[in-house]
Amino acid sequence: MSKRHLLLPGLLLMLAAVLTFLKVPLASSQGLTLVAAEVSGELPMTDPEAAVWQEATAIEAPLSAQNVARPMILNTQVRSVTARALHNGSQIALLVEWADDTQSDEMVRVQDFRDAVAVQFPLAEGQPFFCMGQPGGNVNIWHWKADWQADIAARRDVNTAYANMYVDQYPFVGIGEALLASPADYTDPNYLPALASGNLFASATYASPVEDLIAGGFGSLTSQPVAGQNVQGYGVWSDGRWRVIFSRDLKSQDADDVNLSTGKVYSLAFAAWDGANGERNGQKSTSQWVSLQLEGMIPTGPAPQPAQRAAAPLDWLGMAFVFGPMALVALLALGLVGGAVALSIWTRKQ
Amino acid sequence: MDSEAVKSLPSLFRWLTLAALADWLITRTLTRSAIFVPKSPPVITAYEALGLIGQWAFTLTSLLALVAVGWMAFRLLRARRGIVLPITLLGLLALSLLFVVIPPGGWLAVDYHLLVIAAAGLIGWGMWTRAGGGGRKIAWVFPALALLAGEALQLNQALFGAMRWPGPPPGAMTLFNLGELFAVLSMVGLWWAYCWHPGQDGIRPYVLAALPALAFSAAHLINPAMTGIVAIWSTGLTLYLPWPVYAVSLWLAGVVVFASLRRGDAVGWAVLLLAAGGYAPQLSTQVFLILIALWLLSEEEGAPGLGYDIAVWAIGNRASSL
Repeated sequence: MSKRHLLLPGLLLMLAAVLTFLKVPLASSQGLTLVAAEVSGELPMTDPEAAVWQEATAIEAPLSAQNVARPMILNTQVRSVTARALHNGSQIALLVEWADDTQSDEMVRVQDFRDAVAVQFPLAEGQPFFCMGQPGGNVNIWHWKADWQADIAARRDVNTAYANMYVDQYPFVGIGEALLASPADYTDPNYLPALASGNLFASATYASPVEDLIAGGFGSLTSQPVAGQNVQGYGVWSDGRWRVIFSRDLKSQDADDVNLSTGKVYSLAFAAWDGANGERNGQKSTSQWVSLQLEGMIPTGPAPQPAQRAAAPLDWLGMAFVFGPMALVALLALGLVGGAVALSIWTRKQ
Repeated sequence: MDSEAVKSLPSLFRWLTLAALADWLITRTLTRSAIFVPKSPPVITAYEALGLIGQWAFTLTSLLALVAVGWMAFRLLRARRGIVLPITLLGLLALSLLFVVIPPGGWLAVDYHLLVIAAAGLIGWGMWTRAGGGGRKIAWVFPALALLAGEALQLNQALFGAMRWPGPPPGAMTLFNLGELFAVLSMVGLWWAYCWHPGQDGIRPYVLAALPALAFSAAHLINPAMTGIVAIWSTGLTLYLPWPVYAVSLWLAGVVVFASLRRGDAVGWAVLLLAAGGYAPQLSTQVFLILIALWLLSEEEGAPGLGYDIAVWAIGNRASSL
């Protein structure tokens, strides 16, 4: 092969190396995208039946059993979740639904496991490993728990499952013989070290059925401090189907929280647990990353009725920082096409 | 497309096939095994180097795919055989580059998927209206249907979003599974169309192709869950059918590739591009690989038609590779 014939391939190889080094993408993704519809007014944070949810187009995200880290259950029950999203410029609400024949919302006995669902956002650019992130690629996880949801209405304890239980003595309790001491009965809260250290699982009451966590790979899951628990949730089971709403402000001051903005695209992954199948911890169903896109905000009517949603204006200022260099690369690529064609014509005429 | 016509194709297509294979095998297959390797520093260094090579291969594949589609559009225009397909291909090019800057959504996403479906349909129309073997035409239909099923799935989702319908779009899993069935049958059909004559290619392609098929079978029997995970990452196939079906399809795909390379025609390249493109492609580059593969398959040996005219013109003008 002559040097002339190696010229263009060599140029293309070098160009590809430069583009790889600069992390310039030449391919666009057409994957599953969840579009958060923008509406005005309050979001339906505790009403999965609200009509405004129909303003958002749902996606069905397939799930498969987590089979990377042991222990694992290969025949998990939740095969897909249906998700919708709404935002009003300041808050976002996600409605996640999935089929589950059993309502497992009690975890008093050691052999009982809860139904749960989680959504996961990468904290850095790009997509870390979709299952719990990776070192250097932390993820923010919102984990809704069915038993926490039920306990908000009425906290269950050992006596709920074992009505005939009896306790001989509770040490450090400033009351007389008690069937079941509450945290307030203790003479010093430090005698409940888990509660005193801010362990959410020891809390007598739950402000939210959603736990806000961060992870950077298997075995690194960490609950955010109590003051940083800013995700609200609401879940209801009916006719073999769970419907769970996650809601939070778009912006958060916590460094370990994902920040969301309109007009941008984020990555999002789902996980679900069927407690009746013994699924817990890493024994779960997970999805691959899907895209989450927040529509640009246009003020519409005053009430969250089935509103008329117009196309959002493009974020020209934001796009200017992206469009410029990307347009140059796009022109360069098109120029290559033309150059290749021209070279083909020229060599043929020789 | 006979061997003379193949030689007239720019070496661009050979480069593209090699780059696509490197991207597929390294980025989407080998690097997925990282979770099993020891995490010692030399291994991590080697893995990172492998990942960098895979990223380079992906960028090169994307670049060459863009150039190849542009080349196809240009040659179709020069051959003066219709304007609709070249315009469709150029439109796809433009939209795919636009989506690098602007997130695909709304009616633009609908347009994109419609253009992909239109391109596949126009390539097929050109093929079916020409004289030639009916068997090869039928065999071409299966990979086209697999692409159309994947695109219909994404078109459905995009249409629901553009129309503000609540959804979710119905029948998604049914459509997805049907497309996977077509993808698996594609290799059976291609083998039947190009290689089934007894003694045509000897036994060597069958023996060589058995190796990857046996490797897949062994992997599935040893660790079916992990094989399924790697398969879906690598090819987009969920392995919902009985696993021997996939093993046979893989075997026959290998037979077609080895026999084609021996004969010097373009079918093997097309099969490799189809494999690299995967099923229900998520990236625009993968869509282009499949369209290029369908175009290569649509060029029938000795049949007067668009591709043949281009090849004759190219040979007559002493076409040299790029």
